[in-house]
Amino acid sequence: MPKQFPSSLLNAIAAVLFVAAMPAVAQNQPYKAPRTADGKPNLNGIWQAMNTANWDLEGHSAQAGQVVALGATGAEPPGIGVVEGGEIPYLPAAAQKKKENYANRLKLDPEVKCYLPGVPRATYMPYPFQIVQTGKVILISYEYDGAVRTIYMDNPGPAPVDSWMGWSAGHWDGDTLVVDVTGFNDTSWFDRAGDFHSDMLHVVERYTPVSAGVLNYEATIEDPQVFSRPWKISMPLYKHLEKNAQLLEFKCVEFVEELLYGHLRKQPGK
Amino acid sequence: MRLTVFVVLLAPIGLAGQGLPVVAKPAIAAPKSWAPARTADGQPDLQGVWTNPTLTPLERPPEFAGKEFLTEQEAADYVKRLLQQVNSDRRDGGTQVDVNRSYNEFWRDRGNALVADRRSSLIVDPPDGKIPQLTPEAQKRVEESRKWMQEHATDGPEGRSLAERCISWTTAGPPMLPGPYNNDTQIVQGPGYVVILNEMIHDARVISLDGGPHADQNIRAWKGDSRGHWDGNTLVVDTTNFIGEYSFRGSDANMHLTERFTRVSPDMIQYEFTVDDPTAFTKPWTARIPFNKTTERVYEYACHEGNYAMTDILAGARAAEKKK
Repeated sequence: MPKQFPSSLLNAIAAVLFVAAMPAVAQNQPYKAPRTADGKPNLNGIWQAMNTANWDLEGHSAQAGQVVALGATGAEPPGIGVVEGGEIPYLPAAAQKKKENYANRLKLDPEVKCYLPGVPRATYMPYPFQIVQTGKVILISYEYDGAVRTIYMDNPGPAPVDSWMGWSAGHWDGDTLVVDVTGFNDTSWFDRAGDFHSDMLHVVERYTPVSAGVLNYEATIEDPQVFSRPWKISMPLYKHLEKNAQLLEFKCVEFVEELLYGHLRKQPGK
Repeated sequence: MRLTVFVVLLAPIGLAGQGLPVVAKPAIAAPKSWAPARTADGQPDLQGVWTNPTLTPLERPPEFAGKEFLTEQEAADYVKRLLQQVNSDRRDGGTQVDVNRSYNEFWRDRGNALVADRRSSLIVDPPDGKIPQLTPEAQKRVEESRKWMQEHATDGPEGRSLAERCISWTTAGPPMLPGPYNNDTQIVQGPGYVVILNEMIHDARVISLDGGPHADQNIRAWKGDSRGHWDGNTLVVDTTNFIGEYSFRGSDANMHLTERFTRVSPDMIQYEFTVDDPTAFTKPWTARIPFNKTTERVYEYACHEGNYAMTDILAGARAAEKKK
């Protein structure tokens, strides 16, 4: 039999091991988000994605922009991609349409016309958005085009009508806010690269606090008319910590009037 | 889903009073002891969807000059007459009038009553129930703008109203007024913020309650820059930094708007706004409008996305020019 260690020494070693192990143990614990007054994970704040998903959900190289006059300011920045598995699983006909969308993106992208962004695109546009959370509804106000959606936490039933921003029903899955979004029209895009959907689109979003000031955002996208299977994007969302952070107004409607109606202007002398 | 809502833009039909019929639903006076419930973080609870249609006009009609409140009989007669006048389902006006009435009662949400106390105008101050006179400079500006709009009505989008351009609806505000339709407003209160979401035209104001200063005055917005605070059970929202072209009944970029929201009963918020703009109006003025609780939800009003009217108006004008 091995010589028995004095128990006091064992205790001392155990104590050292325990202390040493603590940080590792803490790291293995799931992050416990701050709570709202009613005990739910507190998602309130002004958030923004920090990626180029709005240019192209899939991985992409930098490239020249579409408008010569904009030079470097209009060029497309590169991105590692946010699609799980790398590629969006288009059905063959839809893959062809995506190509055409891409080729004509300057003309067809709803963002160019200042149309409402839809979901999930609203989340990763290069503008902040604010979550205002209550027990019964969670409202998300997006700076881009003043887009807004109400997430009903009390099962609002099926979408009464199709819309750009869809019909959002939310519930909590542990510390994750899960939002089931239906009732889309077929007119929004997912990005500036022509990725699109039909009015059969169904999106399930998951917002999970993962550390102070960071939410993990996932969206599972299902549309049997366009994709061969459901697919998923994920990305972190970062909280704006500026003391005076606030959503400002970006009503782009006024900025696209020349683009949309300029050709219908009265010509001088006529 | 295949349902689609088509957005139709209302051509400017000059309806004087946008409220609706008979005597207002008598507001049941809340017991004096009544106080609103609190939200989880302790704010007086204003949450829910509210609606503000009324037949009471913003300004006192000349026929009621000097008469701040109507009798029951006067109110009943007035409501009956108003409803008859504005009824767009009438077919008795000849072709042109008939065309103008094509935006018929199906679309309308004017309410059917005057405000409960039978006040003859929504304006409560000044006592004559009228918007105070504009300053000479403002009169000049408003007149020039009116003339320009008239002369350039179909030259390009700028000749149309901000509403027809889907930029801003003066009934959605701020300040908020009863409009011909889409009068619903949702209030959401999160920690430190109040959101006022108007269905017209998906305008959400996210209002900080932190007591901080307004945004830099260089930062201008159609909806202005709103800051809120609580005065007892009343939410006070202070808004500045308006874009000058957002002219509310003649206001300019200096408009300082104060809105007060008081939940006076489970089913009513008393909404009051004061316009203070010394470069536009010769004195401040205040209006009071009841917001009634509704079980409706607020839906998406995608105005710009469905704005076929702008294209049609301009294309029509160009086609007409070619014919000449």
